Amino acid sequence: MLALHMRRLLSALVWTAIGVLGATGFGILALRRGETISAAWLLVAGVASYFIAYRFYSRFICLRVFSLDARRATPAERLGNGRDYVPTNRWVLFGHHFAAIAGAGPLIGPTLAAQFGFLPGTLWLVAGVVLGGAVQDLTILVASLRRDGKSLGEMAKQEVNSVAGTAAMVAILAIMVILLAVLALVVVNALKASPWGLFTIACTIPIALLMGWWMKAVRPGRVLEASAMGVALLLLALVAGRWVSLDPTWSRWFTWTGPSLAWAIIIYGFAASALPVWLLLTPRDYLSTFLKIGTVLFLAVAILILLPPIRMPALTRFVDGTGPVFAGKVFPFAFITIACGAISGFHALVASGTTPKMLMRETDARLIGYGGMLMESFVGLMAMIAAATLDPAVYFAMNVPAATLGPDAASAAGKIAEWGFTLQPGTMETLARQMGETTLFSRTGGAPSLAVGMAGILGGVVSGPGLALWYHFAIMFEALFILTTVDAGTRVGRFMLQELVGHVWKPMGRTSWYPSILTTSALVVAGWGYFLYQGVVDPLGGINSLWPLFGIANQLLAAVALCVGTTIIVKMGRSRFAWVTVLPLCWLVSVTLMAGWQKVFSPDPRLGFLSHAASLAGSSVPNAARMIFNDRLDAALALVFMAVVVVVIAASAREWWLVLSGRKAPLVHETPFVETAYGD
Amino acid sequence: MGTDERRHGGTGAPGHGGKQRPAAAGHGASAGLREGIGKALSVVRQVVGAPDYERYLEHHRRCHAGAAPLGRREFYAEFVTWRFGSGPTRCC
Repeated sequence: MLALHMRRLLSALVWTAIGVLGATGFGILALRRGETISAAWLLVAGVASYFIAYRFYSRFICLRVFSLDARRATPAERLGNGRDYVPTNRWVLFGHHFAAIAGAGPLIGPTLAAQFGFLPGTLWLVAGVVLGGAVQDLTILVASLRRDGKSLGEMAKQEVNSVAGTAAMVAILAIMVILLAVLALVVVNALKASPWGLFTIACTIPIALLMGWWMKAVRPGRVLEASAMGVALLLLALVAGRWVSLDPTWSRWFTWTGPSLAWAIIIYGFAASALPVWLLLTPRDYLSTFLKIGTVLFLAVAILILLPPIRMPALTRFVDGTGPVFAGKVFPFAFITIACGAISGFHALVASGTTPKMLMRETDARLIGYGGMLMESFVGLMAMIAAATLDPAVYFAMNVPAATLGPDAASAAGKIAEWGFTLQPGTMETLARQMGETTLFSRTGGAPSLAVGMAGILGGVVSGPGLALWYHFAIMFEALFILTTVDAGTRVGRFMLQELVGHVWKPMGRTSWYPSILTTSALVVAGWGYFLYQGVVDPLGGINSLWPLFGIANQLLAAVALCVGTTIIVKMGRSRFAWVTVLPLCWLVSVTLMAGWQKVFSPDPRLGFLSHAASLAGSSVPNAARMIFNDRLDAALALVFMAVVVVVIAASAREWWLVLSGRKAPLVHETPFVETAYGD
Repeated sequence: MGTDERRHGGTGAPGHGGKQRPAAAGHGASAGLREGIGKALSVVRQVVGAPDYERYLEHHRRCHAGAAPLGRREFYAEFVTWRFGSGPTRCC
């Protein structure tokens, strides 16, 4: 008895201490002004919040809202087939799920949002994940877990209605197109005029083909040895890249312009979608997963060892909407610029895909669903730290398009001085030389500035390889898994399109029929390729228009997922707890609809698509007609996204009302309870 | 994984249980090491989503004892089609 009391007291003390620590962290972040602070405070504030949220809030959701039951057999146990339905240790599955959800999103978003200063992004990363993102992931995971691993679209159809199901399908396809376009644009911007980077990334294709052939024909299924070989060759390519960049002939061959790179990626995406998976897609997936997990762990350790000083101010003057990296005020634009890391609708697809089929026990959903998303938010925090350790003048010199900075270093320095930061003469030239690049001015898209920040941190811990090698390592790391998303995404888009078109004309629905494969692959690639190309030739860099569209699309998919989650909670007879999903839903819907509205209708031509089109009308700007068309297309797309979410909300609200007013029985389509055969 | 094994009972390789047999000196220690490495590799495979043929064989022995299991090559081909041939496995 006494021991129990002691343990309770100890637990209360520990959690109070964590709470005080977190509050101190936030206090210091919010109150210190005009001096650099250590990244340690950012980490302390974030990590303490994660622990407290996990200990108390996720427990509340699991126990009270969903009544997770360790005695209820999971789909992995009931349907186990040794292949996709496999009961998996929860820590192993935590790693697997994390590797599946975390990609370039949580790295790029915070880097771009650093234009508001480090504070808005940091607060949103922490508050957003704890109350929104992790709740969404957990809710969808539990819902799918209780339905034999059904997908989000199927659940929307079954639990809400078929309108919501179709709307969810359309939303997923549309977000895929924009996602692939914007991620490919990030890669193009990172590899443009960078022979070292391009050579390394180009090498990943023959390396992947070799691995694919090895795993298929030479040593079937030996993924680990093929990956070890692949990683070794990749590092060799990275080192050889320096030599390529120094040799005049070779460097000329690997110095490409934006449009040529865009075409190369488009052709590559088509090939990856139409070729057999084992040849290119599978080996690249493993290669990038190893690199991703390794680098994220290394970066975390390096940040903890180094605890670098934060040089970006907490808030910049650009919270007023005049930001040169992307237009729009801190509210609502900080909240759509950072989607992944705070709340990402895309996760609902994985949480209702591979993961629910692998849980050993229902109660493991807490660690996997809620905990996995906290980890992704932590990756977002690390990206924010990496960006905020840069000299703000350097950050803006790298992330602002050339059209704004002017033709040369002097004009750029003048522009940056107008914003209140001092770019010392020669800084950018020295930095470019250190990083092994010809120039670092206007390397927009977030990846290069993140790579400079990462090179500083990784090189600060392991200085042997030199900054240039670390910079290109970071670029390779980002480009590799972005391209993996591009090939996997194109393929998934192709399957969805085949399914949709298959409803109209049966043969198109046959996933292995070559005419269907080629047509649908070409259509999906044409979809994102168009937006990519438009972004590459856009004088404002394309990120300004495409990244917000991606954020809006991703957040709206999250809104769809939260609608489905709320409907399920209401139909489970737990409507008194519906605020758990309704609260983040309200926030998301207001933020995204507002941002979408401003992107379409704002009278400021820097912000609003339509006013930008109007400002071009009758002007002598080259390609004005095409730019006007693209502005209108972007506006139409934003309106479609907004319409989809309004439809889903209306359909869901109708269901809630029917159940709450007693017109419809509160019934959910869960798989019946079967007791687990596992011991305690 | 502990629970997994408890449920299905005695799925380990013959001579399993190095921890309880400190007396088995040299031979036992290297077998234990080999088993440890095998387990570690299996964890890595599961984390990256790689096929685990040994786990499949074990499942097959347990649940479909009568039928012949797939060979390594066929298992890999089927696994790849399943894992990469449908919904999204990676996010942004």
